[in-house]
Amino acid sequence: MDFVLDFIEQGFIYAIIAFGVYITYSILDFPDLTVDSSFPLGAAVGVLLIKNGVNPYLALPAAFLAGGISGLATGVIHAKFGVRDLLSGIITMTMLYSINHQIAGTSNVPLMNDENIFTLFNKAIEAVLPQNIASSIMPFSKLILIFIIMMITKILFDLYMKTKSGYLLRAVGDNEAVVATLAKNSGTVKIIGLVIANALVALAGCVMLQDQRYFDIGMGTGTIVIGLASVIIGINVFGKLSFIKGTTAVILGSVAYKACVAAAIEIGLPPSFLKLVIGALFLIILIVGNFSKKGAEK
Amino acid sequence: MKKFISMLCVLSMAVFAGCGSEVTDSTAESSQTGEMVNVGIAQFAEHGSLDNCVEGFKLGMAEAGFEEGVNVTYDLQNAQADMATCNQIAQAMTRGDNDLVCAVATPMAQAAYNAAEGNVPVIYTAVTDPVAAELANEDGSSVGNTTGTSDKLAVDAQLQMIRDFLPEAKTIGILYTTSEANSVSAIAEYKELAPSYGFEIVESGISQQSEVSMAATNLAGKVDCFSNLTDNTVVAALPVVLDAANQAGIPVFGSEIDQVRNGCAATEGLDYIELGKQTGAMAARVLNGEDISTIPYETISEYSLYINSDVLANLGLSVPEDLQASANDVK
Repeated sequence: MDFVLDFIEQGFIYAIIAFGVYITYSILDFPDLTVDSSFPLGAAVGVLLIKNGVNPYLALPAAFLAGGISGLATGVIHAKFGVRDLLSGIITMTMLYSINHQIAGTSNVPLMNDENIFTLFNKAIEAVLPQNIASSIMPFSKLILIFIIMMITKILFDLYMKTKSGYLLRAVGDNEAVVATLAKNSGTVKIIGLVIANALVALAGCVMLQDQRYFDIGMGTGTIVIGLASVIIGINVFGKLSFIKGTTAVILGSVAYKACVAAAIEIGLPPSFLKLVIGALFLIILIVGNFSKKGAEK
Repeated sequence: MKKFISMLCVLSMAVFAGCGSEVTDSTAESSQTGEMVNVGIAQFAEHGSLDNCVEGFKLGMAEAGFEEGVNVTYDLQNAQADMATCNQIAQAMTRGDNDLVCAVATPMAQAAYNAAEGNVPVIYTAVTDPVAAELANEDGSSVGNTTGTSDKLAVDAQLQMIRDFLPEAKTIGILYTTSEANSVSAIAEYKELAPSYGFEIVESGISQQSEVSMAATNLAGKVDCFSNLTDNTVVAALPVVLDAANQAGIPVFGSEIDQVRNGCAATEGLDYIELGKQTGAMAARVLNGEDISTIPYETISEYSLYINSDVLANLGLSVPEDLQASANDVK
């Protein structure tokens, strides 16, 4: 049971990243590698604020903002200076590595003894709820808080997609010409998309920091892979169910991906096979998803 | 209906995984004669030094009466230097039925200590600075439910050794990865101590393995010798470093025995197998009922001089007379 709690918890945190990747990859059709650095950027901002005594909850919007700026950088490099999409993400990602290092101060910062959103949340539960209820909730408190943060993000995201700006975002990905005929600048719309995407990723970084209680400069490596895997599993497997929204599909995809990793760990093969097993499970999900898609089309 | 197949797939995955863990449990129990102890070993990355730690850990446990397959079962996992996997392994190991978790290298130690939440004792090894990693208090005492061994380098001894080998040398080049906290603190110590041995440290920071070659070639042209840290990235690319140094005709001094075996000239340093053994002995104490929070972290009790006579001969160097007695040749 604990094992299931663990991957759901991890899956929910990575779902916030997957929302971001969903915007860039799925809606804008923009392969954005900035996320490998905007994820630790959110964590680095968190470290800086928490170590300076700022309330850990305030670190979340601050990380969101910082991530937005990194997305802005990629967007401007691409849309205003005409650098190719893949390359503009790589450029920002590379530069951010040094910036993250500067913000956090050093490459590895533990927060073992500092307050974080989870410890504060536990204190609030103990203060507000009667003792017997509080103690029965306690094992799930992390999951509850992560779920709340993720759901707030999801609901705001869904609402945004219904605004005019949200519709334009979809339009740019589908058909740039439509946006031009509406007398809108498709470059600006892309920039907005990248800002939101990386803001979300950095927010996830800040939540992750407080969950794992240490910052490490290497924590962003492979973020894009996990994000993409979550989005692709989500859309291919769960996205076809008519009652499921894109964002919900992405959440399920993220949990499914983390379940793959957890399963690979639990199976207990020689350690060097870990990545092979994760990849194989990922592939199985996709193949099964494609089969059921064909079935649905018939 | 078919829409649900995909749902089922994910569900079955979870069940499958659950089965996996039960299978290992039953094999463990079937082979047991006395009471079986489960120990999880969570390794951060795969390379010689850390592998030796694990090997040493098992030896140390065996010496203290915990023999693999007889009364202890090991579950070994390796995060392949991936932070996200590192967290998941830490969670799986500390939430499972392990009686103790051995975490190898700093990020894994931090992840395991955090995931354990006081439920499972965590013994760490190959953590250079447990105080900076917030795994130990300033006085070396445990922060609770964790203790272990540090692979802090004997920088003083290493500098003295380099001075003995190279009486004329002025500069020592050190390659390190800016993302590795261990290396950053070691560099600081080198810089602080070097002047008292008449050396100047020239460092070159890299951020990933692909940069080692360029940085090493560049640095080799500026210094009289290299000295290695226990930097994971640089050690993993040791052949590249050795090539660059050979081209420039300068020696590379290692930081532990395995590096000397692989072509470094000498080291006044660590034997990770010994470090692992010491860690295993500590783990055995905890398994025998000693309160982990009362055990302070330990550093390796002895450093020894290891040389590679073939490499020294190629460089035209010889072992200084007063070191000859204590030198162990590991060519």
